[in-house]
Amino acid sequence: MSLADLAITIAVLGGLGLVARRLGLSAIPAYLLAGLLLGPNEPTQLAFISPSEVTEFVAELGLVFLLFFLGLEFTFSRLTRTGRHVGLGGLVDFAVNAGLGLIVGLAAFGPSSEALVLAACLYVSSSAIAIKGLSDFRRLGDDETDLVLAILVFEDIVVALMLGYAAAGGGEVSDTLILVAKALGFITAGLAASRWLTKPLDRLLDRLPLEFFLLAVFGFLVGTAAIAEELGLSEAIGALMAGIVLSETSVREQIEERFFSFRDIFAALFFFVFGLSIDVSAVGDVGWLVAIAALLTIAGKVGGGLVAGRVGGFTQRQSFNAGVALIAHGEFTIILAQLASENEELDFVVRDELVAFAGLYTLVTATVGIVLMKESKRLGRILFPVPRLNQEA
Amino acid sequence: MPVDLRETRLPGVGVKYAFPTAQGGRLSVIMHNDGQRDIYYYRRASDEDPTSVVELHDDEARQLGAILGGAYERPRIVEELEMALGELQIEWVPVPDSSPAIGLTLAECKLRALTGVTVIAILREPEPVSGAQPGDRIQQGDTLVAVGKAGQFSKFRRLLAEGPFEASGERSAE
Repeated sequence: MSLADLAITIAVLGGLGLVARRLGLSAIPAYLLAGLLLGPNEPTQLAFISPSEVTEFVAELGLVFLLFFLGLEFTFSRLTRTGRHVGLGGLVDFAVNAGLGLIVGLAAFGPSSEALVLAACLYVSSSAIAIKGLSDFRRLGDDETDLVLAILVFEDIVVALMLGYAAAGGGEVSDTLILVAKALGFITAGLAASRWLTKPLDRLLDRLPLEFFLLAVFGFLVGTAAIAEELGLSEAIGALMAGIVLSETSVREQIEERFFSFRDIFAALFFFVFGLSIDVSAVGDVGWLVAIAALLTIAGKVGGGLVAGRVGGFTQRQSFNAGVALIAHGEFTIILAQLASENEELDFVVRDELVAFAGLYTLVTATVGIVLMKESKRLGRILFPVPRLNQEA
Repeated sequence: MPVDLRETRLPGVGVKYAFPTAQGGRLSVIMHNDGQRDIYYYRRASDEDPTSVVELHDDEARQLGAILGGAYERPRIVEELEMALGELQIEWVPVPDSSPAIGLTLAECKLRALTGVTVIAILREPEPVSGAQPGDRIQQGDTLVAVGKAGQFSKFRRLLAEGPFEASGERSAE
Protein backbone atom coordinates (compact mmCIF):
# COMPACT_ATOMS: atom_id res chain seq x y z
CA MET A 1 0.00 0.00 0.00
CA SER A 2 1.59 3.24 -1.15
CA LEU A 3 0.84 6.77 0.00
CA ALA A 4 -1.23 7.29 -3.14
CA ASP A 5 -3.27 4.19 -2.33
CA LEU A 6 -3.75 5.45 1.19
CA ALA A 7 -4.87 8.86 -0.08
CA ILE A 8 -7.45 7.30 -2.38
CA THR A 9 -8.59 4.96 0.40
CA ILE A 10 -9.09 7.84 2.83
CA ALA A 11 -10.93 9.83 0.16
CA VAL A 12 -13.29 6.93 -0.50
CA LEU A 13 -13.81 6.36 3.23
CA GLY A 14 -14.56 10.03 3.74
CA GLY A 15 -16.90 10.16 0.76
CA LEU A 16 -18.90 7.08 1.68
CA GLY A 17 -18.90 8.10 5.34
CA LEU A 18 -20.43 11.46 4.39
CA VAL A 19 -23.07 9.81 2.21
CA ALA A 20 -23.95 7.44 5.07
CA ARG A 21 -24.24 10.41 7.38
CA ARG A 22 -26.56 12.21 4.98
CA LEU A 23 -28.75 9.12 4.90
CA GLY A 24 -28.69 8.98 8.69
CA LEU A 25 -26.75 5.70 8.70
CA SER A 26 -23.73 4.76 10.75
CA ALA A 27 -20.26 5.10 9.25
CA ILE A 28 -19.28 1.50 10.08
CA PRO A 29 -21.23 -0.17 7.22
CA ALA A 30 -19.95 2.56 4.90
CA TYR A 31 -16.33 1.70 5.74
CA LEU A 32 -17.02 -2.01 5.28
CA LEU A 33 -18.62 -1.26 1.93
CA ALA A 34 -15.58 0.79 0.87
CA GLY A 35 -13.32 -2.16 1.66
CA LEU A 36 -15.61 -4.52 -0.14
CA LEU A 37 -15.62 -2.36 -3.30
CA LEU A 38 -11.89 -1.58 -3.40
CA GLY A 39 -10.78 -5.03 -2.27
CA PRO A 40 -9.47 -7.83 -4.49
CA ASN A 41 -12.58 -10.01 -4.19
CA GLU A 42 -15.82 -9.71 -6.12
CA PRO A 43 -16.85 -7.15 -7.27
CA THR A 44 -13.49 -6.61 -9.00
CA GLN A 45 -14.19 -3.52 -11.14
CA LEU A 46 -12.65 -1.17 -8.57
CA ALA A 47 -10.21 -3.63 -7.04
CA PHE A 48 -6.88 -1.94 -6.57
CA ILE A 49 -6.00 -2.50 -2.93
CA SER A 50 -5.12 -5.93 -1.72
CA PRO A 51 -4.46 -6.98 1.85
CA SER A 52 -0.78 -6.69 2.66
CA GLU A 53 1.41 -6.42 5.73
CA VAL A 54 0.79 -2.70 5.78
CA THR A 55 -3.00 -2.95 5.73
CA GLU A 56 -2.87 -5.68 8.36
CA PHE A 57 -0.69 -3.56 10.61
CA VAL A 58 -2.93 -0.53 10.24
CA ALA A 59 -5.96 -2.70 11.01
CA GLU A 60 -4.23 -4.11 14.08
CA LEU A 61 -3.66 -0.58 15.37
CA GLY A 62 -7.34 0.15 14.78
CA LEU A 63 -8.33 -2.93 16.76
CA VAL A 64 -5.97 -1.96 19.57
CA PHE A 65 -7.40 1.55 19.77
CA LEU A 66 -11.02 0.35 19.70
CA LEU A 67 -10.43 -1.98 22.65
CA PHE A 68 -8.29 0.53 24.49
CA PHE A 69 -11.22 2.94 24.48
CA LEU A 70 -13.59 0.20 25.58
CA GLY A 71 -11.25 -0.47 28.50
CA LEU A 72 -11.12 3.21 29.42
CA GLU A 73 -14.92 3.16 29.80
CA PHE A 74 -14.72 0.17 32.14
CA THR A 75 -14.27 2.08 35.38
CA PHE A 76 -15.53 0.01 38.28
CA SER A 77 -17.37 2.93 39.80
CA ARG A 78 -19.02 3.59 36.44
CA LEU A 79 -20.08 -0.01 36.08
CA THR A 80 -21.53 -0.19 39.56
CA ARG A 81 -23.34 3.10 39.16
CA THR A 82 -25.04 2.34 35.86
CA GLY A 83 -28.06 1.17 37.76
CA ARG A 84 -30.53 -1.59 38.18
CA HIS A 85 -31.10 -2.48 34.53
CA VAL A 86 -27.63 -3.86 33.86
CA GLY A 87 -28.19 -7.19 35.60
CA LEU A 88 -31.78 -7.97 34.76
CA GLY A 89 -32.06 -6.44 31.30
CA GLY A 90 -28.63 -7.73 30.39
CA LEU A 91 -29.47 -11.27 31.43
CA VAL A 92 -32.74 -11.37 29.48
CA ASP A 93 -30.98 -10.04 26.38
CA PHE A 94 -28.17 -12.57 26.87
CA ALA A 95 -30.48 -15.53 27.34
CA VAL A 96 -32.57 -14.73 24.27
CA ASN A 97 -29.93 -13.58 21.80
CA ALA A 98 -26.93 -15.68 22.75
CA GLY A 99 -29.35 -18.62 22.74
CA LEU A 100 -30.64 -17.81 19.25
CA GLY A 101 -27.06 -17.20 18.11
CA LEU A 102 -26.00 -20.60 19.39
CA ILE A 103 -28.86 -22.28 17.54
CA VAL A 104 -27.80 -20.59 14.30
CA GLY A 105 -24.16 -21.48 14.97
CA LEU A 106 -24.97 -25.11 15.64
CA ALA A 107 -27.13 -25.32 12.55
CA ALA A 108 -24.38 -23.81 10.40
CA PHE A 109 -21.20 -25.40 11.76
CA GLY A 110 -22.34 -28.21 14.07
CA PRO A 111 -21.19 -28.40 17.69
CA SER A 112 -17.85 -26.60 17.45
CA SER A 113 -15.86 -23.55 18.54
CA GLU A 114 -16.90 -21.84 15.33
CA ALA A 115 -20.51 -22.12 16.45
CA LEU A 116 -19.64 -20.39 19.74
CA VAL A 117 -17.89 -17.54 17.96
CA LEU A 118 -20.86 -17.14 15.63
CA ALA A 119 -23.19 -17.07 18.64
CA ALA A 120 -21.14 -14.25 20.15
CA CYS A 121 -21.21 -12.37 16.81
CA LEU A 122 -25.02 -12.55 16.76
CA TYR A 123 -25.40 -11.71 20.43
CA VAL A 124 -23.49 -8.46 20.68
CA SER A 125 -25.17 -5.29 19.39
CA SER A 126 -23.26 -2.25 18.27
CA SER A 127 -22.76 0.32 21.03
CA ALA A 128 -21.44 2.84 18.52
CA ILE A 129 -24.44 2.61 16.21
CA ALA A 130 -27.02 2.48 19.01
CA ILE A 131 -25.58 5.54 20.74
CA LYS A 132 -25.32 7.46 17.48
CA GLY A 133 -28.94 6.58 16.67
CA LEU A 134 -30.20 7.53 20.13
CA SER A 135 -28.45 10.86 19.81
CA ASP A 136 -29.47 11.56 16.18
CA PHE A 137 -33.11 10.60 16.72
CA ARG A 138 -33.39 12.62 19.92
CA ARG A 139 -33.90 9.66 22.21
CA LEU A 140 -31.31 10.44 24.87
CA GLY A 141 -33.93 12.06 27.07
CA ASP A 142 -36.26 9.06 26.91
CA ASP A 143 -36.55 6.74 29.89
CA GLU A 144 -35.94 3.55 27.94
CA THR A 145 -32.53 4.88 26.85
CA ASP A 146 -31.26 3.88 30.30
CA LEU A 147 -32.25 0.29 29.55
CA VAL A 148 -30.59 0.27 26.11
CA LEU A 149 -27.30 1.56 27.45
CA ALA A 150 -27.37 -0.78 30.44
CA ILE A 151 -27.84 -3.79 28.15
CA LEU A 152 -24.96 -2.57 25.99
CA VAL A 153 -22.71 -2.46 29.06
CA PHE A 154 -23.63 -6.04 29.93
CA GLU A 155 -22.89 -7.13 26.35
CA ASP A 156 -19.51 -5.39 26.39
CA ILE A 157 -18.51 -7.33 29.50
CA VAL A 158 -19.53 -10.67 28.00
CA VAL A 159 -17.71 -9.91 24.76
CA ALA A 160 -14.58 -8.84 26.61
CA LEU A 161 -14.56 -12.36 28.08
CA MET A 162 -15.10 -13.88 24.62
CA LEU A 163 -12.24 -12.03 22.87
CA GLY A 164 -9.53 -14.40 24.03
CA TYR A 165 -11.56 -17.43 23.05
CA ALA A 166 -12.27 -16.08 19.57
CA ALA A 167 -8.59 -15.29 19.06
CA ALA A 168 -7.00 -18.52 20.25
CA GLY A 169 -9.57 -20.96 21.61
CA GLY A 170 -10.89 -24.06 19.96
CA GLY A 171 -7.90 -26.42 19.96
CA GLU A 172 -7.43 -29.33 22.35
CA VAL A 173 -9.42 -29.00 25.54
CA SER A 174 -6.20 -28.86 27.59
CA ASP A 175 -4.80 -26.06 25.36
CA THR A 176 -7.99 -24.10 25.75
CA LEU A 177 -7.86 -24.56 29.52
CA ILE A 178 -4.26 -23.28 29.61
CA LEU A 179 -5.38 -20.35 27.50
CA VAL A 180 -8.22 -19.58 29.89
CA ALA A 181 -5.80 -19.81 32.84
CA LYS A 182 -3.36 -17.45 31.12
CA ALA A 183 -6.13 -15.01 30.30
CA LEU A 184 -7.39 -15.09 33.90
CA GLY A 185 -3.85 -14.50 35.19
CA PHE A 186 -3.33 -11.62 32.81
CA ILE A 187 -6.67 -10.03 33.67
CA THR A 188 -6.04 -10.46 37.41
CA ALA A 189 -2.65 -8.79 37.01
CA GLY A 190 -4.26 -5.98 35.05
CA LEU A 191 -7.01 -5.44 37.62
CA ALA A 192 -4.45 -5.50 40.44
CA ALA A 193 -2.43 -2.93 38.51
CA SER A 194 -5.47 -0.71 38.09
CA ARG A 195 -6.06 -1.00 41.84
CA TRP A 196 -2.50 -0.43 43.11
CA LEU A 197 -0.68 1.37 40.32
CA THR A 198 -3.20 4.14 39.78
CA LYS A 199 -1.52 6.65 42.07
CA PRO A 200 2.07 6.24 40.86
CA LEU A 201 0.86 6.22 37.25
CA ASP A 202 -1.12 9.33 37.96
CA ARG A 203 1.85 11.15 39.38
CA LEU A 204 4.08 10.04 36.53
CA LEU A 205 1.69 10.94 33.71
CA ASP A 206 0.72 14.19 35.34
CA ARG A 207 4.29 15.45 35.27
CA LEU A 208 5.17 14.55 31.72
CA PRO A 209 5.20 17.26 29.06
CA LEU A 210 2.52 16.73 26.43
CA GLU A 211 4.75 15.11 23.82
CA PHE A 212 6.03 12.52 26.24
CA PHE A 213 2.61 12.05 27.74
CA LEU A 214 1.35 10.93 24.34
CA LEU A 215 4.37 8.69 23.83
CA ALA A 216 4.13 7.18 27.29
CA VAL A 217 0.45 6.31 26.94
CA PHE A 218 0.88 4.99 23.42
CA GLY A 219 3.94 2.98 24.46
CA PHE A 220 2.08 1.51 27.41
CA LEU A 221 -0.85 0.58 25.18
CA VAL A 222 1.23 -1.06 22.46
CA GLY A 223 3.48 -2.69 25.05
CA THR A 224 0.60 -4.29 26.91
CA ALA A 225 -0.92 -5.47 23.63
CA ALA A 226 2.43 -6.96 22.60
CA ILE A 227 2.85 -8.78 25.92
CA ALA A 228 -0.63 -10.26 25.62
CA GLU A 229 0.17 -11.38 22.07
CA GLU A 230 3.46 -12.94 23.24
CA LEU A 231 1.53 -14.88 25.87
CA GLY A 232 -0.58 -16.39 23.12
CA LEU A 233 -3.55 -14.29 24.16
CA SER A 234 -4.85 -11.73 21.78
CA GLU A 235 -3.52 -8.20 21.34
CA ALA A 236 -7.16 -7.24 21.80
CA ILE A 237 -7.11 -8.41 25.42
CA GLY A 238 -3.86 -6.54 26.02
CA ALA A 239 -5.30 -3.31 24.66
CA LEU A 240 -8.45 -3.76 26.72
CA MET A 241 -6.38 -4.27 29.86
CA ALA A 242 -4.27 -1.18 29.10
CA GLY A 243 -7.50 0.79 28.98
CA ILE A 244 -8.78 -0.70 32.23
CA VAL A 245 -5.50 0.03 34.03
CA LEU A 246 -5.65 3.68 32.97
CA SER A 247 -9.41 4.02 33.49
CA GLU A 248 -9.09 4.93 37.18
CA THR A 249 -6.36 7.52 36.74
CA SER A 250 -7.12 11.21 36.82
CA VAL A 251 -5.66 11.62 33.32
CA ARG A 252 -8.30 9.37 31.75
CA GLU A 253 -10.25 12.24 30.24
CA GLN A 254 -7.08 13.76 28.88
CA ILE A 255 -6.14 10.45 27.30
CA GLU A 256 -9.59 10.12 25.72
CA GLU A 257 -9.40 13.65 24.40
CA ARG A 258 -5.90 13.23 22.95
CA PHE A 259 -6.48 9.82 21.40
CA PHE A 260 -10.03 10.22 20.05
CA SER A 261 -8.76 11.25 16.63
CA PHE A 262 -6.25 8.39 16.47
CA ARG A 263 -8.97 5.94 17.31
CA ASP A 264 -11.36 7.32 14.72
CA ILE A 265 -8.82 7.19 11.91
CA PHE A 266 -7.45 3.76 12.71
CA ALA A 267 -10.85 2.29 13.50
CA ALA A 268 -12.08 3.48 10.09
CA LEU A 269 -9.09 1.76 8.50
CA PHE A 270 -9.74 -1.35 10.59
CA PHE A 271 -13.27 -1.67 9.22
CA PHE A 272 -12.00 -0.87 5.74
CA VAL A 273 -9.32 -3.56 5.86
CA PHE A 274 -11.85 -6.05 7.18
CA GLY A 275 -14.03 -5.12 4.22
CA LEU A 276 -11.13 -5.97 1.89
CA SER A 277 -11.39 -9.61 2.86
CA ILE A 278 -15.16 -9.90 2.37
CA ASP A 279 -15.90 -11.93 -0.71
CA VAL A 280 -19.31 -11.14 -2.15
CA SER A 281 -19.21 -14.28 -4.26
CA ALA A 282 -19.51 -16.12 -0.94
CA VAL A 283 -23.11 -14.91 -0.80
CA GLY A 284 -24.00 -18.21 -2.39
CA ASP A 285 -22.52 -20.02 0.63
CA VAL A 286 -23.49 -17.73 3.47
CA GLY A 287 -26.37 -15.78 1.95
CA TRP A 288 -29.08 -17.93 3.48
CA LEU A 289 -27.24 -17.88 6.79
CA VAL A 290 -27.07 -14.08 6.76
CA ALA A 291 -30.75 -13.80 5.91
CA ILE A 292 -31.88 -16.19 8.64
CA ALA A 293 -29.50 -14.69 11.20
CA ALA A 294 -30.68 -11.16 10.41
CA LEU A 295 -34.35 -12.13 10.78
CA LEU A 296 -33.67 -13.99 14.02
CA THR A 297 -31.70 -11.00 15.29
CA ILE A 298 -34.59 -8.64 14.63
CA ALA A 299 -37.01 -11.03 16.35
CA GLY A 300 -34.62 -11.79 19.21
CA LYS A 301 -33.58 -8.23 19.97
CA VAL A 302 -37.13 -6.89 19.78
CA GLY A 303 -38.51 -9.83 21.77
CA GLY A 304 -35.73 -9.64 24.33
CA GLY A 305 -36.19 -5.89 24.59
CA LEU A 306 -39.93 -6.29 25.16
CA VAL A 307 -39.38 -8.80 27.98
CA ALA A 308 -36.50 -6.89 29.54
CA GLY A 309 -38.44 -3.65 29.32
CA ARG A 310 -41.62 -5.06 30.87
CA VAL A 311 -39.60 -6.64 33.66
CA GLY A 312 -37.87 -3.31 34.22
CA GLY A 313 -41.19 -1.45 34.50
CA PHE A 314 -41.33 0.20 31.08
CA THR A 315 -44.40 0.47 28.85
CA GLN A 316 -44.75 -1.80 25.82
CA ARG A 317 -43.88 1.00 23.41
CA GLN A 318 -40.83 1.98 25.41
CA SER A 319 -39.68 -1.64 25.59
CA PHE A 320 -40.22 -1.97 21.84
CA ASN A 321 -38.07 1.11 21.21
CA ALA A 322 -35.34 -0.33 23.43
CA GLY A 323 -35.32 -3.64 21.58
CA VAL A 324 -35.23 -2.01 18.16
CA ALA A 325 -32.25 0.14 19.20
CA LEU A 326 -30.27 -3.06 19.75
CA ILE A 327 -30.81 -4.58 16.28
CA ALA A 328 -27.81 -2.93 14.64
CA HIS A 329 -24.62 -4.98 14.93
CA GLY A 330 -21.24 -3.47 14.23
CA GLU A 331 -17.81 -3.11 15.73
CA PHE A 332 -17.83 -6.12 18.06
CA THR A 333 -19.22 -8.54 15.49
CA ILE A 334 -16.41 -7.46 13.16
CA ILE A 335 -13.76 -7.59 15.90
CA LEU A 336 -14.75 -11.13 16.92
CA ALA A 337 -14.77 -12.32 13.31
CA GLN A 338 -11.41 -10.66 12.67
CA LEU A 339 -9.83 -12.35 15.71
CA ALA A 340 -11.36 -15.67 14.74
CA SER A 341 -10.06 -15.34 11.18
CA GLU A 342 -6.49 -15.35 12.53
CA ASN A 343 -7.11 -18.22 14.92
CA GLU A 344 -5.14 -21.22 13.65
CA GLU A 345 -7.25 -23.60 15.72
CA LEU A 346 -10.37 -22.96 13.68
CA ASP A 347 -11.26 -24.66 10.44
CA PHE A 348 -9.76 -22.74 7.49
CA VAL A 349 -12.86 -22.84 5.28
CA VAL A 350 -15.12 -21.91 8.18
CA ARG A 351 -12.91 -18.93 8.99
CA ASP A 352 -13.42 -17.51 5.50
CA GLU A 353 -17.15 -18.07 5.80
CA LEU A 354 -17.16 -16.36 9.19
CA VAL A 355 -15.51 -13.26 7.72
CA ALA A 356 -17.92 -13.07 4.81
CA PHE A 357 -20.83 -13.76 7.12
CA ALA A 358 -19.86 -11.15 9.72
CA GLY A 359 -19.27 -8.49 7.06
CA LEU A 360 -22.56 -9.02 5.23
CA TYR A 361 -24.52 -9.55 8.44
CA THR A 362 -23.19 -6.28 9.85
CA LEU A 363 -24.03 -4.44 6.62
CA VAL A 364 -27.60 -5.76 6.75
CA THR A 365 -28.37 -5.33 10.45
CA ALA A 366 -26.65 -1.94 10.72
CA THR A 367 -28.77 -0.60 7.86
CA VAL A 368 -32.06 -2.27 8.79
CA GLY A 369 -31.49 -1.51 12.48
CA ILE A 370 -31.06 2.21 11.93
CA VAL A 371 -34.08 2.44 9.61
CA LEU A 372 -36.29 0.54 12.06
CA MET A 373 -34.99 2.63 14.94
CA LYS A 374 -35.93 5.82 13.15
CA GLU A 375 -39.49 4.51 12.70
CA SER A 376 -39.81 2.59 15.96
CA LYS A 377 -42.00 5.15 17.70
CA ARG A 378 -44.45 5.19 14.79
CA LEU A 379 -44.38 1.39 14.59
CA GLY A 380 -44.89 1.21 18.33
CA ARG A 381 -48.04 3.33 18.11
CA ILE A 382 -49.42 0.97 15.45
CA LEU A 383 -48.41 -2.25 17.24
CA PHE A 384 -49.45 -1.16 20.73
CA PRO A 385 -52.42 1.14 20.14
CA VAL A 386 -53.56 1.56 23.74
CA PRO A 387 -50.58 2.66 25.74
CA ARG A 388 -50.43 2.23 29.45
CA LEU A 389 -49.65 5.62 30.89
CA ASN A 390 -46.02 6.15 31.57
CA GLN A 391 -45.67 5.69 35.31
CA GLU A 392 -42.19 7.01 35.71
CA ALA A 393 -41.55 8.90 38.90
CA MET B 1 -34.92 21.02 47.30
CA PRO B 2 -38.53 20.39 46.34
CA VAL B 3 -37.53 19.34 42.79
CA ASP B 4 -37.58 15.56 42.28
CA LEU B 5 -34.29 15.29 40.43
CA ARG B 6 -33.21 11.91 39.09
CA GLU B 7 -29.63 11.26 38.08
CA THR B 8 -28.82 8.39 35.70
CA ARG B 9 -25.48 7.35 34.23
CA LEU B 10 -25.53 6.84 30.49
CA PRO B 11 -22.47 4.71 29.84
CA GLY B 12 -20.65 5.88 26.74
CA VAL B 13 -22.65 9.10 26.64
CA GLY B 14 -22.53 10.93 29.95
CA VAL B 15 -25.03 11.67 32.71
CA LYS B 16 -28.74 12.41 32.54
CA TYR B 17 -30.65 14.57 34.99
CA ALA B 18 -34.42 14.49 34.76
CA PHE B 19 -37.25 16.05 36.72
CA PRO B 20 -40.97 16.70 36.27
CA THR B 21 -41.96 20.35 35.98
CA ALA B 22 -44.78 21.98 37.92
CA GLN B 23 -46.71 22.47 34.65
CA GLY B 24 -47.02 18.72 34.19
CA GLY B 25 -44.14 18.41 31.73
CA ARG B 26 -40.78 16.78 32.04
CA LEU B 27 -37.23 18.05 31.56
CA SER B 28 -34.15 15.96 30.85
CA VAL B 29 -30.66 17.39 30.73
CA ILE B 30 -27.94 15.26 29.16
CA MET B 31 -24.37 16.11 30.09
CA HIS B 32 -22.24 14.55 27.36
CA ASN B 33 -18.76 13.35 28.22
CA ASP B 34 -17.41 15.72 25.58
CA GLY B 35 -18.97 18.74 27.28
CA GLN B 36 -22.05 19.15 25.11
CA ARG B 37 -25.35 19.56 26.99
CA ASP B 38 -28.77 18.69 25.59
CA ILE B 39 -32.02 19.85 27.10
CA TYR B 40 -35.01 17.66 26.26
CA TYR B 41 -38.41 19.12 27.06
CA TYR B 42 -41.58 17.00 27.04
CA ARG B 43 -44.74 19.10 27.25
CA ARG B 44 -46.62 16.30 29.04
CA ALA B 45 -44.73 13.87 31.21
CA SER B 46 -46.13 10.93 29.26
CA ASP B 47 -45.15 12.27 25.82
CA GLU B 48 -43.08 9.90 23.74
CA ASP B 49 -41.43 12.53 21.60
CA PRO B 50 -39.79 15.59 23.07
CA THR B 51 -41.55 18.87 22.29
CA SER B 52 -38.18 20.48 21.79
CA VAL B 53 -34.49 19.71 22.12
CA VAL B 54 -31.82 22.30 22.75
CA GLU B 55 -28.18 21.42 22.09
CA LEU B 56 -25.63 23.62 23.78
CA HIS B 57 -21.85 23.84 23.71
CA ASP B 58 -20.01 23.97 27.00
CA ASP B 59 -19.67 27.76 27.07
CA GLU B 60 -23.28 28.33 26.02
CA ALA B 61 -24.51 25.95 28.70
CA ARG B 62 -22.51 27.74 31.38
CA GLN B 63 -23.86 31.08 30.22
CA LEU B 64 -27.43 29.76 30.32
CA GLY B 65 -26.82 28.23 33.73
CA ALA B 66 -25.58 31.52 35.11
CA ILE B 67 -28.60 33.38 33.79
CA LEU B 68 -31.08 30.80 35.11
CA GLY B 69 -29.28 30.63 38.42
CA GLY B 70 -29.71 34.35 38.95
CA ALA B 71 -26.07 35.42 38.65
CA TYR B 72 -27.06 38.39 36.49
CA GLU B 73 -30.41 39.43 37.82
CA ARG B 74 -31.50 38.24 41.22
CA PRO B 75 -35.04 36.97 40.96
CA ARG B 76 -37.32 38.18 43.74
CA ILE B 77 -37.50 34.71 45.23
CA VAL B 78 -33.76 34.75 45.93
CA GLU B 79 -34.11 38.09 47.71
CA GLU B 80 -36.83 36.59 49.87
CA LEU B 81 -34.61 33.66 50.67
CA GLU B 82 -31.94 36.07 51.83
CA MET B 83 -34.49 37.79 54.05
CA ALA B 84 -35.33 34.47 55.59
CA LEU B 85 -31.72 33.92 56.54
CA GLY B 86 -31.79 37.30 58.22
CA GLU B 87 -28.37 38.52 59.15
CA LEU B 88 -26.75 35.27 58.17
CA GLN B 89 -25.27 34.61 54.76
CA ILE B 90 -24.16 31.48 52.99
CA GLU B 91 -21.08 31.93 50.86
CA TRP B 92 -19.08 29.66 48.58
CA VAL B 93 -15.42 30.32 49.32
CA PRO B 94 -12.82 28.66 47.06
CA VAL B 95 -9.63 27.68 48.88
CA PRO B 96 -6.70 29.45 47.18
CA ASP B 97 -4.08 27.03 45.87
CA SER B 98 -1.43 28.71 48.00
CA SER B 99 -3.50 28.58 51.19
CA PRO B 100 -1.58 27.44 54.26
CA ALA B 101 -4.79 25.75 55.41
CA ILE B 102 -4.39 22.98 52.83
CA GLY B 103 -3.62 19.77 54.65
CA LEU B 104 -5.01 20.99 57.96
CA THR B 105 -8.27 19.87 59.51
CA LEU B 106 -11.07 22.36 60.09
CA ALA B 107 -10.45 22.04 63.83
CA GLU B 108 -6.76 22.86 63.43
CA CYS B 109 -7.61 25.95 61.40
CA LYS B 110 -9.90 27.27 64.16
CA LEU B 111 -11.85 29.14 61.47
CA ARG B 112 -14.96 29.51 63.61
CA ALA B 113 -13.12 30.61 66.73
CA LEU B 114 -11.08 33.20 64.83
CA THR B 115 -13.73 34.59 62.46
CA GLY B 116 -17.17 33.43 63.63
CA VAL B 117 -17.84 31.75 60.28
CA THR B 118 -18.89 28.09 60.29
CA VAL B 119 -17.97 25.71 57.47
CA ILE B 120 -21.01 23.54 56.80
CA ALA B 121 -19.90 21.66 53.68
CA ILE B 122 -16.91 21.15 51.43
CA LEU B 123 -17.32 20.93 47.66
CA ARG B 124 -14.69 18.77 46.03
CA GLU B 125 -14.28 16.21 43.25
CA PRO B 126 -15.50 13.55 43.06
CA GLU B 127 -17.60 13.48 46.23
CA PRO B 128 -18.57 16.61 48.16
CA VAL B 129 -18.54 16.52 51.97
CA SER B 130 -22.07 17.48 52.93
CA GLY B 131 -21.84 17.75 56.71
CA ALA B 132 -18.36 19.07 57.38
CA GLN B 133 -16.84 17.71 60.61
CA PRO B 134 -13.98 19.24 62.64
CA GLY B 135 -11.77 16.34 61.57
CA ASP B 136 -12.23 16.95 57.82
CA ARG B 137 -9.05 18.01 56.08
CA ILE B 138 -8.94 20.92 53.63
CA GLN B 139 -7.54 19.87 50.27
CA GLN B 140 -6.29 21.74 47.26
CA GLY B 141 -9.15 22.71 44.96
CA ASP B 142 -11.79 22.64 47.68
CA THR B 143 -14.61 25.13 47.89
CA LEU B 144 -15.90 25.74 51.42
CA VAL B 145 -19.59 26.38 51.95
CA ALA B 146 -19.71 28.65 54.97
CA VAL B 147 -22.37 30.37 57.09
CA GLY B 148 -21.72 33.61 58.88
CA LYS B 149 -22.67 37.24 59.26
CA ALA B 150 -22.03 39.59 56.39
CA GLY B 151 -19.09 41.36 57.98
CA GLN B 152 -17.24 38.22 58.96
CA PHE B 153 -16.48 36.90 55.52
CA SER B 154 -13.69 39.26 54.56
CA LYS B 155 -11.77 38.18 57.64
CA PHE B 156 -12.58 34.56 56.84
CA ARG B 157 -11.28 34.85 53.28
CA ARG B 158 -8.12 36.60 54.43
CA LEU B 159 -7.41 34.00 57.08
CA LEU B 160 -7.98 31.21 54.60
CA ALA B 161 -5.64 32.77 52.07
CA GLU B 162 -2.82 33.89 54.34
CA GLY B 163 -3.13 32.23 57.74
CA PRO B 164 -1.54 32.29 60.15
CA PHE B 165 -2.52 28.94 61.54
CA GLU B 166 -0.87 27.48 64.55
CA ALA B 167 1.52 25.02 63.03
CA SER B 168 0.35 21.61 64.09
CA GLY B 169 3.31 19.29 64.39
CA GLU B 170 2.31 16.66 61.87
CA ARG B 171 1.52 17.82 58.33
CA SER B 172 -0.23 15.22 56.37
CA ALA B 173 1.39 13.96 53.21
CA GLU B 174 -1.93 13.91 51.40
